[in-house]
Amino acid sequence: MFAESALNVRNKRVQNLFRILFLMMTVLLIIPVVIILATLIAKGGSIISIDFLFTDPTNGMTAGGIFPALLGTVWIVAVALLASVPLGVAAAIYLNEYAGDNWFTRIIQLAIINLAGVPSIVHALFGVGAFVIFFGFGTSILAASLTLAIMTLPVVIVSTRESLRAVPQAFREACWNMGATRWQTIRRVVLPNAVSGILTGVILEVSRTTGETAPIMFTGAAFFLPFLPQGVFDQTMALSLHLFVVATQVPGVPDNLPFGVALVLIAMVLLMNSISIAFRMYLRGKKKW
Amino acid sequence: MNATAKAMSEPVAEYAIRTSKLNLWYGTFQALFDVDLNICNGMITSLIGPSGCGKSTLLRSVNRINERLGYVRIEGNIDVMDKNIYDPDVELVQVRKQIGMVFQRPNPLPISIRDNILFGHRIHNKDNKSSKSDQNEIVESALKQVLLWDKVKDRLNQRGTELSLEEQQKLCIARLLPVKPSVLLMDEPCSALDPKGTAAVEELIWELRGEYTILIVTHNMAQARRASEECIFMLMGKVVEHQATEDLFVTPEQKETADYIEGRYG
Repeated sequence: MFAESALNVRNKRVQNLFRILFLMMTVLLIIPVVIILATLIAKGGSIISIDFLFTDPTNGMTAGGIFPALLGTVWIVAVALLASVPLGVAAAIYLNEYAGDNWFTRIIQLAIINLAGVPSIVHALFGVGAFVIFFGFGTSILAASLTLAIMTLPVVIVSTRESLRAVPQAFREACWNMGATRWQTIRRVVLPNAVSGILTGVILEVSRTTGETAPIMFTGAAFFLPFLPQGVFDQTMALSLHLFVVATQVPGVPDNLPFGVALVLIAMVLLMNSISIAFRMYLRGKKKW
Repeated sequence: MNATAKAMSEPVAEYAIRTSKLNLWYGTFQALFDVDLNICNGMITSLIGPSGCGKSTLLRSVNRINERLGYVRIEGNIDVMDKNIYDPDVELVQVRKQIGMVFQRPNPLPISIRDNILFGHRIHNKDNKSSKSDQNEIVESALKQVLLWDKVKDRLNQRGTELSLEEQQKLCIARLLPVKPSVLLMDEPCSALDPKGTAAVEELIWELRGEYTILIVTHNMAQARRASEECIFMLMGKVVEHQATEDLFVTPEQKETADYIEGRYG
């Protein structure tokens, strides 16, 4: 009565086939990551040292360290964050907590989606026109960071909205029905519960910003500079552009140098991603509902 | 003579909620038809009727939650303590403060038990910050009123969301009390609870009568019979019968009421 029929066997075989197919596709995803990391470590690992991280490039960038580029990237990312986070979070709060579903918010949604689809090189040209020339910031950290900020705004807005949306509606109802205003509700209940998600989104955005090259190469990042930036109106070197330069523009660079730069860049990104994941796990563990 | 003197010294409305010619539409669908009700002050009144009869709609229009939906249109008056809450000079925040609401699913906030109790108090008393000992007193008295104090007094910093459902629902009632509302609305407050929890919450509601006017929607006729003093039977958006609970269940005047309480539809 419960014995296996021929149809059962056939169905099981098909089911196994698909399971293995999908498993293989998943494994396929890992391969490029592994190859990239392995190559970078194998070819660039030998050059990594404290000195490499903290000294200036020498001999027309064919030797020495990467300190100005490393510092420049930190500058650009930090200033970009200062611009995009307040703007993006505020916009997300408005859209999720205040705005009704009307033509105005739908236009804004559409604008955000389109902004996310704009190629980075177009952002770069916009940055040149708007920040370098129109606002007169010149090619500077400020112009580069603002260009990056605009580029990453959609990510901040979308990820912030996701975390706001994850706060159960029942909490808001509870507050409103005790006479709390929207702002009191946001301030006391929604934000404290969404903050872990918002921060995670922000850190992910940072890692994206770190590697961008096109938007900064016309707006603030320099090929080579003999001095470190002193403020936001200075130009600076940046890791991503430096990688491009030593890999393609300068003759006589030893093989392990570009790989070393790439390794540092990717390590920065991975480090920030892991911090973000660890942080999210920590905060998730604390929250229960 | 005595009665008059008493009435003059403390003017208490005889009816906490009075509706007159209340009609309500969701878009083009009319959900309430000419509802005229007088709900006695300090009593527990239950609203019963089959699903879709408008009892929850009625309840929800008494603290103006319905209007959040946007497509709701209301005609007529709802006077709470002799003031029409739909008058233009009425502040919504005050309505929500005076008229507390308890939901079907307990919805404590994901903050400590203590902060849950103080939440309403804090938003409505921003200017005169109360001292720590005042706050302790508020928390203790609210939790004592809902018969929860002995169970949670040693873990007031635990999250409200970590309590059992029954305790959560009690907490949701307790957090309304510090702002001294005059009316408590309850939308099937026991339907998410097990029988033991239901009994406990019913007992608590019964304890609160006299101090608060309680309007409670229930699907459970046994509950209406046990835990209310007056009972309103609604059908198709109209009030069919409003009587003392015992009378409504023993000697219903309308045939529809009799059919419903005998379980012929519902």
